[in-house]
Amino acid sequence: MAEVMQGNRTRKADAVNVGDGDIAACCKVMTRRFGEIEVEPEQVIRMVSPVLGFPESRRFVLRQHGPGSVFLWLQSLENADLAFVVVRAGQVDVDYNPPLAEADRRELGLTAGQVPEFLLILTLKRTEKLKITANLLGPVALNTEKRLAKQVLLDPAHYDIALPLE
Amino acid sequence: MLILSRKVGEAIVIDNEITVRVLEVKGGQIKLGVEAPGRVRVHREEVYRCILEENRRAALEAPADPAALADTLAGAIWQGAGEGGLLSGMVSKVGDKDSGES
Repeated sequence: MAEVMQGNRTRKADAVNVGDGDIAACCKVMTRRFGEIEVEPEQVIRMVSPVLGFPESRRFVLRQHGPGSVFLWLQSLENADLAFVVVRAGQVDVDYNPPLAEADRRELGLTAGQVPEFLLILTLKRTEKLKITANLLGPVALNTEKRLAKQVLLDPAHYDIALPLE
Repeated sequence: MLILSRKVGEAIVIDNEITVRVLEVKGGQIKLGVEAPGRVRVHREEVYRCILEENRRAALEAPADPAALADTLAGAIWQGAGEGGLLSGMVSKVGDKDSGES
């Protein structure tokens, strides 16, 4: 048992190093939901600042939920247990285009006029029936060219933290 | 915790570059003015906490079994959802062999 644990840990440690200097080849990463997944360096998304509450996870990959599905999984490479269900903001609101602070744009390496992709983190609430809400207040802004991302904090007067999707 | 008393118009300086000034005290409210370089982000604490808690909830409630995510429901919500667009190069496609859907 201890040996297995060791094995997992080693793999996770490898994953942490992927893409640090964009030198790493592809590797396998163990995840709780998807088992062992192949990660190509060009798929790794680096959080330039952490998703709030999860400072240890700086690298993620996006996985499509299923063929034709709008759901994506934002899977951490450092924490096998951590994966968010996300959706492209345009799927929820075609006009969603929140203003980014200049500091955020710089951190994301966005060039003048470059529009980031916004991913909305979904919360699934299982009461009597499944309820899904989208977090429009703290979207993950993504520079698709450089694969840099961060969760940005917007103005609560204009954006909802839990918009019901129905 | 460092505790400082300030009067209206007085300020504190943090790290030589961030100035927080008391602009007005009225009723139970204090108006603060923050001067800081562009790279410093200032947020109301409750916004920060609110997002942090929602993140934790989202992580906790994400189904352990991805198949449990009701795609039929999603289909009803977002008609004609296309492929990843800008993201397409980055998203791992789900192969036919590990998806039970048709």
